[in-house]
Amino acid sequence: MLVLLFILFAGMAIGCALAVVAQRNPLYSAISLIGVFISLACLYVMLAAPFIAAVQVIVYAGAIMVLVVFVIMLLNVEEEERRRGRLRFLVPTAIALSAVLIAEVAFILVTVNTPSITRIAPLSAPDVGLTHSVGSALFTQYLLPFEITSILILMAIVGAMTLARRGGLVSPTARIVPGATHLPLSLIDSTVGHESTEAVEAETTAEAEQLLGVDKSD
Amino acid sequence: MDSQTLIDIGLKLVAITVAFTVVLLIVAYTVLAERRVLGLIQGRLGPNRVGPGGMLQPFADLLKFILKEDIVPDKSTRFIYFLAPVIATMAALMTMIVYPFGPETRIPFTDISLPLTIARFDVGLLYVLGITSVGVYGIALAGWSSNNKYSLMGGLRASSQMISYELALGLSLIGVILLAGTLDLGQIVENQSGWHGMRWFIFFHPLGFVIYLIAAIAETNRVPFDLPEAETELVAGFHTEYSAMKFALFFLAEYINMFTVSMLATTLFLGGWNVPFAEDIFGKGTFLFGLVSAIGFILKVVFFLFLYIWLRGTLPRFRFDQLMNFGWKVLLPFALFSIFLTATLIFLFPGL
Repeated sequence: MLVLLFILFAGMAIGCALAVVAQRNPLYSAISLIGVFISLACLYVMLAAPFIAAVQVIVYAGAIMVLVVFVIMLLNVEEEERRRGRLRFLVPTAIALSAVLIAEVAFILVTVNTPSITRIAPLSAPDVGLTHSVGSALFTQYLLPFEITSILILMAIVGAMTLARRGGLVSPTARIVPGATHLPLSLIDSTVGHESTEAVEAETTAEAEQLLGVDKSD
Repeated sequence: MDSQTLIDIGLKLVAITVAFTVVLLIVAYTVLAERRVLGLIQGRLGPNRVGPGGMLQPFADLLKFILKEDIVPDKSTRFIYFLAPVIATMAALMTMIVYPFGPETRIPFTDISLPLTIARFDVGLLYVLGITSVGVYGIALAGWSSNNKYSLMGGLRASSQMISYELALGLSLIGVILLAGTLDLGQIVENQSGWHGMRWFIFFHPLGFVIYLIAAIAETNRVPFDLPEAETELVAGFHTEYSAMKFALFFLAEYINMFTVSMLATTLFLGGWNVPFAEDIFGKGTFLFGLVSAIGFILKVVFFLFLYIWLRGTLPRFRFDQLMNFGWKVLLPFALFSIFLTATLIFLFPGL
């Protein structure tokens, strides 16, 4: 029974993974990738790790791939054309790397004592993959790596914010005028006068001020 | 496979059939109830011609959906166009299996005792969240594959709305997890059976309950958060190009989703199948206790369904920027604050 299920889910995972690479339409690739994640989650359940399985579905299938599909839909990416002669050196590199990977897997299979599929059934310590044990391990033994990961994610968020508001930091009083990038509030204040609010092409606030000839001292 | 396994599998199949039949019947009558209650709110009658008081209307609707012509747009992406309603309905139905409909109950005239749950596992709550988040694809892909700008807009709106509100939804549940100390839905319900069946988590975590209610409406794309199908702007949103049975599947998925979020609210905040004083009167494990508890569970779910219909009849629709601002700038901070509040409560009163 377990072997049958394993073959089913592993086959699904491999089939979907092949489809990710083979499809020309990016949306089909993305959907196949979701299939890979879901079959992997099923395999995790069989390995008695339901927590990892659930998190796999929530994080990868539910959040990251939704964003990928969202962007593909938003940009309306067309079917990719097959280009020849571009990045040709990648083919032999890929073959060499996959040969290394297969050799690695073969080595592990040979050296492990009982290389049988039935080993996927949980034999000892049945609570290893449960939420409780994962949680207590994360917050005691592996607390430092866990916290470092959270800082890493924080850095990614800050980086994304910085990229999103490129053109330098904007002062909180700045207003955006169509045509110009950013202008300080004093420039578009009605009491100051309207002659200086013409659209200008400027990367930063300082450049806009310079172009408009605003004296910074006042 | 020995005979015990076969009996177990047989029992599970019976349980699945019974649960799905009951739930689908309730869902079918929710549609009718919605139309009748909306009629009441808007000062008209609603459908009352098919059968006594309109009781056969759901079946008439079903027959109509089956008999309608199935139109497929010429330039749609065929495979995904067919796949999308299937994903939506499947994701809606799949969460049904983890909810505890009732306590451990002895079947009359036998000594077999079984819990009124189809499947019970350690990460029940995470399973629900995971399947719910996969349900977004049904709507997003439907919008994309129809090759229609209104559908695409609806699909984009739906996916951005659902991933935004999923955060607040998930955070509002953390207080419950803290209180219960488990993700197993059956265990969570059992933890609420103190105080003669009135130790409901809503009393410890009221802010989270309100946030969950709001976010759940947004997750199911219902009024006032039904922007993905806002008919004044987008014709019918993501299912503009769907007709006949494929439209019926989306329709079904929406109502099943409504039902499952109501079930989750009942399970996590209103004590699940716990009926006040039922255990004192009937005794633990008896058939009557099981029956009363299951009916209590269904009644609580029906209350939430009525609440959703009531909201639909009384609230106007949000604007899209209001929706996003509300989700990110109001609900999310409040959800974080509610976690802080509940954690403080648990820290101050450890025996809670």
